[in-house]
Amino acid sequence: MQMFPKQEVVAMLLAGGQDSRLGVLTKKLAKPAVPFGGKYRIIDFPLSNCVNSGVEAVGILTQYQPLILNEYIGNGQPWDLDGMHSGVNCLSPYQAIKGADWYSGTANAIYQNINYIERYDPDYVVILSGDHIYKMDYNKMLEYHKEKNAACTIAVIDVPLEEASRFGILNTYEDGAIYEFDEKPEHPKSTNASMGLYIFSWKELRKYLTEDEAKEGSSHDFGKDVLPTMLAAGERMFAYPFEGYWKDVGTIDSLWEANMDLLDPNVTLDLKDIYSRNPMMPPHYVAPSANIQNSLVADGCNVEGDLEFSILFSGVTVGKGAVVNSSIIMPGAVIEEGACVQFAIVAENTVIGKNAKVGQRPEEVENRDEWGIAVIGENSKVADGAFVPAKVMIDTDTEVAAE
Amino acid sequence: MRSNDVLGFIFAGTLDEKIPELAASRTTASVPIGGKYRLIDFVLSNMSNSGINNVGIVAKSNFLSLTDHVGSGSAYDLSKRRSNLTLLTPYGGKTFSNFVETVYNMHGYIEHCREEYVLIEQGNVVTNFDYNALFDFHSKNNADVTLIYKKGVIPAGYDRPVTLDVDADGKVQQVFVKPENTAEEANFMYGAMLIRKELLMTEIRRALSLNQLDIKRVIQDSVGPLRVFAFENKGYTAFISSINSYFDFNMDLMKREVRDELFNPKRPIYTKVRDDAPSRYGLESSVKNSIIAQGCVIDGEVENCVISKGVYVGKGAKLSNCIIMQDTKIGANTNLNYVIIDKDVEIQDGRSLMGFDSYPIYIAKKSVV
Repeated sequence: MQMFPKQEVVAMLLAGGQDSRLGVLTKKLAKPAVPFGGKYRIIDFPLSNCVNSGVEAVGILTQYQPLILNEYIGNGQPWDLDGMHSGVNCLSPYQAIKGADWYSGTANAIYQNINYIERYDPDYVVILSGDHIYKMDYNKMLEYHKEKNAACTIAVIDVPLEEASRFGILNTYEDGAIYEFDEKPEHPKSTNASMGLYIFSWKELRKYLTEDEAKEGSSHDFGKDVLPTMLAAGERMFAYPFEGYWKDVGTIDSLWEANMDLLDPNVTLDLKDIYSRNPMMPPHYVAPSANIQNSLVADGCNVEGDLEFSILFSGVTVGKGAVVNSSIIMPGAVIEEGACVQFAIVAENTVIGKNAKVGQRPEEVENRDEWGIAVIGENSKVADGAFVPAKVMIDTDTEVAAE
Repeated sequence: MRSNDVLGFIFAGTLDEKIPELAASRTTASVPIGGKYRLIDFVLSNMSNSGINNVGIVAKSNFLSLTDHVGSGSAYDLSKRRSNLTLLTPYGGKTFSNFVETVYNMHGYIEHCREEYVLIEQGNVVTNFDYNALFDFHSKNNADVTLIYKKGVIPAGYDRPVTLDVDADGKVQQVFVKPENTAEEANFMYGAMLIRKELLMTEIRRALSLNQLDIKRVIQDSVGPLRVFAFENKGYTAFISSINSYFDFNMDLMKREVRDELFNPKRPIYTKVRDDAPSRYGLESSVKNSIIAQGCVIDGEVENCVISKGVYVGKGAKLSNCIIMQDTKIGANTNLNYVIIDKDVEIQDGRSLMGFDSYPIYIAKKSVV
């Protein structure tokens, strides 16, 4: 096998999982490719973190709906990941002499790409997931890993006690050494939630991946199999406390909230040094009839209506008299004259017809449990005057008729 | 003629002396314009979109910002195995003072290029133009030279404008230099032409041997001996030849038909990419009839303005009819009307600056007001 110049760290980004929680938004694309923040895709965050931390070799494990993601990553140039012997590679399942396998779990996905990792002869491997919004210097975590002489370091974030039962909780001794994994505990003992971000010393990880592969009945998953086995074997495993903005955007609500956080001056996340592919569009135009308050607007938009607490991706049109409030409008969508879009996510290239109404304010709904963010799938059309109530999800390529 | 048989040859600084403020620290072609572009983006994108894949840019002075902007040409798809962008700067003490000598001094480069034709263009022209129609016209007429012209009133700033008398077939009958009545509509030739490379070099050598350094005169004399044709650019075109024309073009961008034509998604205008976040509008912002690039934070009132990338507009600021270039900071409670502000300027809180529509005032790069 041809060896490349050594990389101390190789990052492996898990981007292939199928997950139905984002509904129509991930019908045609993998979750890491979901648009975020007016011009980004979720994967821009971990990729930019890699580059900004000096990690130059990144393997992206793809399996579910990889087309858009593969195309977006391309040669990695927007992230400076297009080096001669390093950079970014999309790694899909493949056929080999002994047969062909889908990635059967997160650990199996890495196992099947041991060759990719070994070309760089790394000392450490970072495992990242593609559905988190955060900015982090992985070097600091690596220093911590080295300092603790750990086999595995898991990044954790302090969550409010009342929310801790939604997360995987790590219970540690005072020095940060982990003694217990507690998956979604009813009575959490601590508030250290796992961020799904691991640094392994490669020799150890390689050993445990190989063993896990041979183990019958294993689901080949990091959280369920590899990490507990390592802990049981007495390996040095530490929790690395991360401070800063971090959000799992795996659900419609959390995706919407994380976008809205960008409009909140009290939130510490800034978009500086987050890189992305830039569509070639002119600056946006704001017409005399427009009113824009507390919003983000990208290139190529044409705004003639009212925007409040909203995010417009590139090339969005908002017609005269239209109102967009507390909503996320993805690239190329058209909100026609007089339409009203509130508390909604409108996916790419969707048309909201004249005087149509999408989404509702919480106070418009009698039973609060029935309220939620309305979602319109890509390439759909909401007819003139039609109504899409709160929490309703419209499929992709669908036409919603007026009553 | 196939477009990959054509060498693009752009003069970056022909009218530098007409916009001394904007071109103080850069050449005309790299003047920031339209919120996120530099002037040369238009002609370079047109060439790239028309299939021309070898382009030389002649820059006689002040070319640092141009070099920085165009880089390898990759933003225009001009940096591949079969495409190339070359910056041609003075060397060995040779002068670039006039067209004839400049082209002669570049003969090594021009003759080395494998293309059969040369398309000469100017870096101060804003238009979205498909050269393929020009190539077809040139071939169909079996022309020796095809000049591009624009019908209309001659733009201000051209000291010795050239106008053409063209017959119904597009053949040039007569070439006028500095015509008497400049207020009338005329066929204005702005320095763009298509010519066979070999013929160009023959004509340049002959002109030099006759000590004829005036290209306008050379063109005049060629009508008759050569088949000189003219092709009309019928699209929206702006010539940046004075601070007023610079201002007027930026304001033209508020017109939908101008934007739709210039930024035709089928023939995009490319530019060097910067990783700016989407622009952020504050709670008290009010923006009307304006062009806003990315990376801005707008907390004040903006009307009839072009705001470039990375600009900050403070609370209570009132901006009307202004062009603000990149990364400038406009402080709180300022009041600006008809002001062109270059990049990296700081207007401190509470300042007031007023120009007039016929006389916009200009604030130089990196100033603090």
